[in-house]
Amino acid sequence: MVAIKETIEAVKEIEAEKYKYGFVTDIESEKAPRGLSEEVIRFISAKKKEPEWMLEWRLDAYRRWLTMREPDWARVSYPKIDFDEIYYYAAPKGFDEGPNTIDDVDPELLKTYEKLGIPLREQEILAGVKNSRIAVDAVFDSVSVVTTFREELSKAGVIFCPISEAIIEYPDLVRKYMASVVPVSDNYYSALNCAVFTDGSFVYIPEGVRCPMELSTYFRINELNTGQFERTLIIAEKGSYVSYLEGCTAPQRDENQLHAAVVELIAMEDAEIKYSTVQNWYPGDENGKGGIYNFVTKRADCRGRNSKVMWTQVETGSAITWKYPSCILRGDGSQGEFYSIAVSNGAQQVDSGTKMLHLGKNTSSRIISKGISAGRSQNTYRGQVSAHRKAMDARNFTQCDSLLIGNQCGAHTIPYIEAKNSSAQFEHEATTSKISDDQLFYCLQRGIPEEEAIALIVNGFVKEVIQELPMEFAVEAQKLIGISLEGSVG
Amino acid sequence: MADFQDLTLFWIKEMNIPVKHTTGEEAVLSLLQDAGPQASHVLESISQRGLPTRRVEAWHYTDLRNLLKHYPAVASSSESAAKNALAACKNPLPCVELPIINGGYCAELATTLPQKMLVASQTQTVDATDIASDDTIGLLNSGLVTGGLTIAVNDDAHIDDRICLSHIMTEENSAASRHNVKIGARASITLMERHLTTNSAAAVTNTVCDLELADNSIVTWVIDQQMSELATRFGQLNVKLGKQAELTILSLNSGCKLVRQEIRVEVLGEGSRLNISGVNLIGHDAHIDVTTKLDHLVPNTVSTETFRNVVAGNGRGVFQGQINVAQIAQGTDARMACNSLLLSDASEFSAKPELEIFADDVQCAHGATVSDIDENHLFYLMARGIPEKLSRDMLIKAFVAEVFDGLAVEQIGKELNNRIDNWLDNNG
Repeated sequence: MVAIKETIEAVKEIEAEKYKYGFVTDIESEKAPRGLSEEVIRFISAKKKEPEWMLEWRLDAYRRWLTMREPDWARVSYPKIDFDEIYYYAAPKGFDEGPNTIDDVDPELLKTYEKLGIPLREQEILAGVKNSRIAVDAVFDSVSVVTTFREELSKAGVIFCPISEAIIEYPDLVRKYMASVVPVSDNYYSALNCAVFTDGSFVYIPEGVRCPMELSTYFRINELNTGQFERTLIIAEKGSYVSYLEGCTAPQRDENQLHAAVVELIAMEDAEIKYSTVQNWYPGDENGKGGIYNFVTKRADCRGRNSKVMWTQVETGSAITWKYPSCILRGDGSQGEFYSIAVSNGAQQVDSGTKMLHLGKNTSSRIISKGISAGRSQNTYRGQVSAHRKAMDARNFTQCDSLLIGNQCGAHTIPYIEAKNSSAQFEHEATTSKISDDQLFYCLQRGIPEEEAIALIVNGFVKEVIQELPMEFAVEAQKLIGISLEGSVG
Repeated sequence: MADFQDLTLFWIKEMNIPVKHTTGEEAVLSLLQDAGPQASHVLESISQRGLPTRRVEAWHYTDLRNLLKHYPAVASSSESAAKNALAACKNPLPCVELPIINGGYCAELATTLPQKMLVASQTQTVDATDIASDDTIGLLNSGLVTGGLTIAVNDDAHIDDRICLSHIMTEENSAASRHNVKIGARASITLMERHLTTNSAAAVTNTVCDLELADNSIVTWVIDQQMSELATRFGQLNVKLGKQAELTILSLNSGCKLVRQEIRVEVLGEGSRLNISGVNLIGHDAHIDVTTKLDHLVPNTVSTETFRNVVAGNGRGVFQGQINVAQIAQGTDARMACNSLLLSDASEFSAKPELEIFADDVQCAHGATVSDIDENHLFYLMARGIPEKLSRDMLIKAFVAEVFDGLAVEQIGKELNNRIDNWLDNNG
């Protein structure tokens, strides 16, 4: 009954909340010249004090990007992006001297994160809820503002720092693993990201270490007309475990903003990575004005035997989402899981899903995807499950369900299922329906008002995914879903 | 690594790449050139784009550019050959026979028609510029078509005789035909499309059937393909369903080296029902692709699709099923299932069941499975003293036969099941 109560409360909050993260932080910032050129890339690289090899790598990616074409196969439509109208680097003033301690950080920035519900001072975090400490890397536009609990983590041998710092301090690790999962020219946006990425998190869990706390990165786009190009690299060595959370928000603006990230996960033998996302970028207003274009490449490589990667995502924001967190199941006995809730309302367009590529023996994967479309939104699940010729005894179960609220929206399911040997066992099922009148009637008849009843039914619909989220996220996610569906009832 | 990157680049399609034509393309182009002005648009389109590759979404799993190695000259028919051919391919079911030998209709060999229906050896031409650029079967057909039948069934006619369009190829030739079939209101009929070869010639056929069902008509349409294991077949069935019309489609593929069978249905009448059942028996070296596209365009219609595939040797099976539900098509109930059995380690199956839904008050579902024969089932039978080969055959038969069991047209079901037995003897 607790869940039901929470839902009702979440729905009540709807009126007041709308997109409560839509405020703008008034802070002076320093930007690279508008547009994209080799000079801008040199500027970014110099700002980050990067070694020569990194600059060369970026320039090489840029040259390759110039020869590539924007993909058009996804079920999304948007006006052509003018890549020369975007600022590729924006940082609050005074960030040249980093890395910073918390006391150097502009109080205005700290206030921003407090408003977002993310305290950055460790003592404040400690004063908060007991036993739920989370180390946070806060990325504001193009720079990482602060990373908490670093000392405590380093005692355990865990490296958790902004990637720009890792490039300088751990160049061997970065060179070895970066772009080993998502090659530079994997796709148009990954190549763009390689050329201009500015910040993100770097996580390295050494052999046999169970990361003592949840790690998290919070991305915030603030400046007008900037793009955020984050890059995250997580390496879990043999027998280690890490749970990583990602959150994102942006101010309410009339112009579209671009977010093109690359996330790479590498799991060695017996390692386990749990990656959870609550994506709450500004979705634009109900007429589709403004909002974030979210073109993201996320991929995990289960390199070692019996490694395991789990993607969990709650997608409520973005004007356009184009994202397929995938698993390459290379190690024998490796496992990939994908749990997703994608909620779209207003004029949002979502084309999201996953790829499970079975390459090793005895690999297994599980996909649970729940799409909810309301308003005039289009919600597409696109997924690929394939078993290589030598991937003996590959096993997959896929379930993707779509729920339609209102008759103006669309729900689409496009799975690709490819079995290349007879020992593969693939099951796929998909359903599309609206909230049934019977269910609604049942609730109404027991005196539950319509709006609460719908929230209740939606909650039941997504329960399988919510329960896979870490505690702190589950509550937030439930609220978010309620808020995103606002106004779609009746 | 190269192979792997191929996999990951999978969704990215780029267009208009082919410059150098393959031998298959060259054969097609030279035939189109000979076909004269009717083929000029198609000739231009194919010489520019080439045949579709996996980068063309509609042909994602059937890379025609690589698979189509040859396209033999258009066949000419002689009467004596036709007579022998028909005798060699005797229909085991009593039917009204409409023989189409080497692409030509042999009226003099046809059985007497029942009343209330009309068959004429003529075909309506289509404007190639109206055909979508990825509809390669339609394009090739419009360029190479040499003939076909126009069949009309009167309103209120209940035709008890089965009408059978027997397409027989006798040489290593190609043929393209286009049929127009119009079923009158409240009429009922069973029609069969048979596709055969008299020997192991590597024939290539292309048939497009346009089928229109007027309001309240009831039709069973059977597609029975048993061509030689070197043959290639392109088939397209375009259906328009009227109000309260009922259509059952049965499709069995048990031959050919390369098959692409498209079934495209526009559900245009309220209250209509559509049922598609298909079995594909995919032997060694064969590539069989069944692609369906259902457009639910009006409220309150029902469709079900059931496909069973058995893949042996290094055969490759493909199923692409698209269900589109338009915004006004409230109350649609659409279900699709595609189950596949892989019998050998070298066999492959790819499925792409798509749902595109713009209406909210609908029930739509699809399911797809791929697996080997269940070890437990096999053990159960073998523990009872049934030899392994026989046990396997029993399980495979049970897996596919279900689709044709309990049909209203019992005789056809029986005949199709016989063919499954034969195939198992050769491939199981």
